[in-house]
Amino acid sequence: MAGADGDDSLYPIAVLIDELRNEDVQLRLNSIKKLSTIALALGVERTRTELLPFLTDTIYDEDEVLLALAEQLGNFTMLVGGPEYVHCLLPPLESLATVEETVVRDKAVESLRKISQEHSPVDLEVHFEPLVKRLASGDWFTSRTSACGLFSVCYPRVSSTVKAEIRQHFRTLCSDDTPMVRRAAASKLGEFAKVLELDYVKTDIIPLFTSLASDEQDSVRLLAVEACVSIATLLPQEDLETLVMPTLRQAAEDKSWRVRYMVADKFSELQKAVGPEITKNDLVPAFQNLLKDCEAEVRAAAANKVKEFCENLPEDNREQIIMTHILPCVKELVSDTNQHVKSALASVIMGLSTILGKDNTIEHLLPLFLTQLKDECPEVRLNIISNLDCVNEVIGIRQLSQSLLPAIVELAEDAKWRVRLAIIEYMPLLAGQLGVEFFDEKLNTLCMAWLIDHVYAIREAATSNLTKLVEKFGAEWAQNTIVPKVLGMANDPNYLHRMTTLFCINALSEACGQDITTKQMLPVVLKMSNDQVANVRFNVAKSLQKIGPVLDSNALQTEVKPVLEKLASDTDMDVKYFAQEAISVLALA
Amino acid sequence: MCVTMGDISDLDRQIEQLRRCELIKENEVKALCAKAREILVEESNVQRVDSPVTVCGDIHGQFYDLKELFRVGGDVPETNYLFMGDFVDRGFYSVETFLLLLALKVILVFGLFFTLYDILSSSHFHSSFDPCLAPQVRYPDRITLIRGNHESRQITQVYGFYDECLRKYGSVTVWRYCTEIFDYLSLSAIIDGKIFCVHGGLSPSIQTLDQIRTIDRKQEVPHDGPMCDLLWSDPEDTTGWGVSPRGAGYLFGSDVVAQFNAANDIHMICRAHQLVMEGYKWHFNETVLTVWSAPNYCYRCGNVAAILELDEHLQREFIIFEAAPQETRGIPSKKPVADYFL
Repeated sequence: MAGADGDDSLYPIAVLIDELRNEDVQLRLNSIKKLSTIALALGVERTRTELLPFLTDTIYDEDEVLLALAEQLGNFTMLVGGPEYVHCLLPPLESLATVEETVVRDKAVESLRKISQEHSPVDLEVHFEPLVKRLASGDWFTSRTSACGLFSVCYPRVSSTVKAEIRQHFRTLCSDDTPMVRRAAASKLGEFAKVLELDYVKTDIIPLFTSLASDEQDSVRLLAVEACVSIATLLPQEDLETLVMPTLRQAAEDKSWRVRYMVADKFSELQKAVGPEITKNDLVPAFQNLLKDCEAEVRAAAANKVKEFCENLPEDNREQIIMTHILPCVKELVSDTNQHVKSALASVIMGLSTILGKDNTIEHLLPLFLTQLKDECPEVRLNIISNLDCVNEVIGIRQLSQSLLPAIVELAEDAKWRVRLAIIEYMPLLAGQLGVEFFDEKLNTLCMAWLIDHVYAIREAATSNLTKLVEKFGAEWAQNTIVPKVLGMANDPNYLHRMTTLFCINALSEACGQDITTKQMLPVVLKMSNDQVANVRFNVAKSLQKIGPVLDSNALQTEVKPVLEKLASDTDMDVKYFAQEAISVLALA
Repeated sequence: MCVTMGDISDLDRQIEQLRRCELIKENEVKALCAKAREILVEESNVQRVDSPVTVCGDIHGQFYDLKELFRVGGDVPETNYLFMGDFVDRGFYSVETFLLLLALKVILVFGLFFTLYDILSSSHFHSSFDPCLAPQVRYPDRITLIRGNHESRQITQVYGFYDECLRKYGSVTVWRYCTEIFDYLSLSAIIDGKIFCVHGGLSPSIQTLDQIRTIDRKQEVPHDGPMCDLLWSDPEDTTGWGVSPRGAGYLFGSDVVAQFNAANDIHMICRAHQLVMEGYKWHFNETVLTVWSAPNYCYRCGNVAAILELDEHLQREFIIFEAAPQETRGIPSKKPVADYFL
């Protein structure tokens, strides 16, 4: 190819161009990614006359290379000489839009949509629109699929004759023989409706929407549900009932769960699009049905929307609708057989208390929260505990503690240690939600009891829980509330519990600061260096190493050093070892 | 022998690998076993153990349940452990299980000693310690392993360990290294002179602990005789001695235990060897205790497991635990279930 003929400055470019034909895919790929450099070096004219025809002719490459090429060409307008010449890019992109690999086609369509905006209205009709027509009437489904994405970008900027042709082409594709093309058309239906004149929406789009929504393939029907949101937004309220609702009602009861799932998933958008009156008359019963659907996926999708749906109900009779129509379904979902359904519900159910107010919450919602709080699935319980604050705002902390706390305490004392572990992990969260005063009164005892649990993993988790609590409530709280209890354990008859004191000190010293560490913790640690159990003594050495940086140098030299030196000549090898290590790390030698 | 710092960091890495249930290389197994042998050869047939210590029963290659045991009981070296044998066979991860326990023991004796030696010689301290004397100096061990009836060449060829080594390493070399170490494992332990720990139980040929001390244990477990009995016998609700249905060892009754305990001034006998659904079981008015530490034995028995925590006053606390939940287990071996499960 050109480029290597004599001009030295073009040599690197010649290499790149050669690499476009290299046998190694990676080299071709690298070269394609530098296509703009090649084009820049060649100049706009040679890019148009040499590079683009070359690219158009040689597109029989690996999909990876084609994908890179399709992307590059979307940014090529200036490299071929600006908007005036942008149509030169159409031939290579047109062939890319017909290849078998979907990602390549999609990328080509994306680039075509991008450069369509850079065409003048005249060029759009002369070059772009014929391309769309060619693709739309292509023999192979790949080109017709690609055409679906191009109608809406040229429609607003062409003459009314061409517009009529475009509408005709879109109609044809909506009833294409292959489901792939109908799917593509259905997915662009909403977008296309938005650029059409309102009259045509009613005369053209609605019939297409109706027919796609009753397509034999559920994958087509479910895409029509997505379009429904856009279409309903475009139509005046008085037309919705006749033009959209029959189809929507049918979709909500579709025999395929995937279609019903789509309705449930888009429910909030649909609700906003059709407005309050239709919501009251039609969507409430439809929502009830989705909450009771026989497929768990549908129920879970609907359960996720419970709060949003209720929030957006018309205020005048919102409470009545929720209490008589929605709440009975929610009650059933609380004991659903599927944990994803329960978990989805648990993530939003607490939000209902703000909508329903104090009395309803206490009477109707609290029992549901309580059931979910005791659910066997940890995710359900976590979702409830994570949202306690919004109930707190409505019914107040006292009420909350009377109703829910017993359940939390029960779990905290469960015979299975993994259940206890799960509750410990929620403690910092609860502490944040309930505040220090409430925490001290109701939960602090639990947190301290875990420190002497007979399962090590619980003691370990309880220790790191304390650190998080101190980070929340501060050093002064630690000094008054937990430090005395932690230090008290240093006298426990069981060595494992005495060591827990040391582990807690390791975890807390930094958060508690120098004063508390030096005055309260250090004396206890030093005293424990006389423990008769070697495991405690070598953990004293480890603790001193850990808290050393928090202490001042005076305490280190006069108190820590003598003790470590004593431990360094202990009869137990491990004690000696860890004492020596501490001496060395703290530079006390 | 000498261990260098390189060996220590190697050992640390190997322990990390084994903790993740990853295999270490064949030559690393060889080196590990060589070091372990030097420690074990020094141990008595009735190894002295000081309280506090946590006593554990059969593990049987249930690696993820062993990790669960450590989560419940605490990590080494913070908690002291005594394992009463049957580390291998039946479960899917006998190799990883035995090598992890062995590596923990090795690093706790050699590892700490030589790291200490390094500090002593590199800083301003001077010491007359000769690292090569290490095996001669006795230290209270943080982990003690004694021999079970499955720590044997013959048994492991039938119940899975042999096949597992062959499958995982492609040769029986690792099995050879491990079974050689089995011969060095101590036969029993005595905690604070009061609690006698042994895998199986008593033997009609043994009346005193001193008689156990005279056994030459460095051999394959014999088919009969005192060494065999210690690893094979079971307590039975009778008096005197009975024939064991296992075909090795004896059944021993309450009077046998009373006599043995009185003669040796001990409070109780702690042993493993028999599956108990509740994890532990008392016999003969709390003079014999069975501890079982393999939850859901063979992944199908539905039993819970137990460990016995003895504090420094020999106060007892049993900790019950269940099999590790599925999500904490590695992907079950791709290999077919061994035919002894079927």
